[in-house]
Amino acid sequence: MNEVMKKEERAVPTYRPATDILEREDGFYIYMDMPGVDRQQLEIDLNGDELTVSAVTSMQLGENEHFSEMQFGNCEYRRVVSLSDIVDRERIKANLSDGVLELHLPKVERIQPKRIEITKG
Amino acid sequence: MVMDFNTLYNFPFRFDRLIDEFFKSPEAEGRRLAYPPLNLSSDDANFYVRAEIPGVDIKDIELTLTDKTLVIKGERQTEQGRYYRQERPAGVFHRVVTIGAAVDREKVSASMTNGVLTVVLPKSEQVKPRTISIEAA
Repeated sequence: MNEVMKKEERAVPTYRPATDILEREDGFYIYMDMPGVDRQQLEIDLNGDELTVSAVTSMQLGENEHFSEMQFGNCEYRRVVSLSDIVDRERIKANLSDGVLELHLPKVERIQPKRIEITKG
Repeated sequence: MVMDFNTLYNFPFRFDRLIDEFFKSPEAEGRRLAYPPLNLSSDDANFYVRAEIPGVDIKDIELTLTDKTLVIKGERQTEQGRYYRQERPAGVFHRVVTIGAAVDREKVSASMTNGVLTVVLPKSEQVKPRTISIEAA
C-alpha cells in the first residue's frame, strides 16, 4: 500500500501542535497547544534523541447537532522534538492542563556553570 | 545553539517530514486565519459556540451577550524565558459571533474542558420548533 492510500484511510487529520520552546535558569521548557486532549489520550515517548508527543482529541458532539460553522474538529496531534545531550533524560517532567502540555527538560548536572576553586600550590 | 531542535540531524527522516508539511492540507492553514477557531452549531434546544482556547482560565475570558451577538474576549500570556521557537498565538483576542435567533439570556452557560470553551445558549421559547396538534373537527 502506498503512502497516499494510507493517509486517506486515516479517520482524523493530523496536525503539528503549535509549540513554544524556551530556556530558563533551570532548563528547557516546551509548551504545546493541544486543545481537546484528555490526559489518557496523550502519549510521550523518548526514543534515543527523539521525543515524540502524540495525542488524539476526544470532543463529543451532540447527536442532533447541526453545524453552521466548523473551524476545528477531532484530530490527531503529533510532533517530534530532537533533544541534545545536555538534557537530563531521567528527569523530564510533563504536565497537561487546560489543553496545554508543558514539558520541563532539565539540563544534566555537569553543564551547570561551576566555579573552580584555585588552591595554592 | 545548545539544543539540537532543528538541524540536519537525522536527515532522511526530516526530509520526509518536510515533504509532508509541504503537502499538508490547506485546512491546517485555515486554522490560523482567526483566533480562536470557532465551531457554531445548534440542536432543537440550544445554540452551541465552541472555541479552542488552550492555556487560558475561564475566569480570564470575558463573554458579553448583546441582542444578536456573543463577544469572546481574553488574553493569552507569553511565558518568560529565552525563546528558541514561538508558534503559539499570544496576546489579546476578540471574536464576535452572530447568533441569528433569540436566546434565553438567563440560562446561558459556559464551561471550559481541556482548553475548549463551550457556551450553551438555550433557544428562546418563541423560536423552538413546536408541534401543533390538530383537533378533529
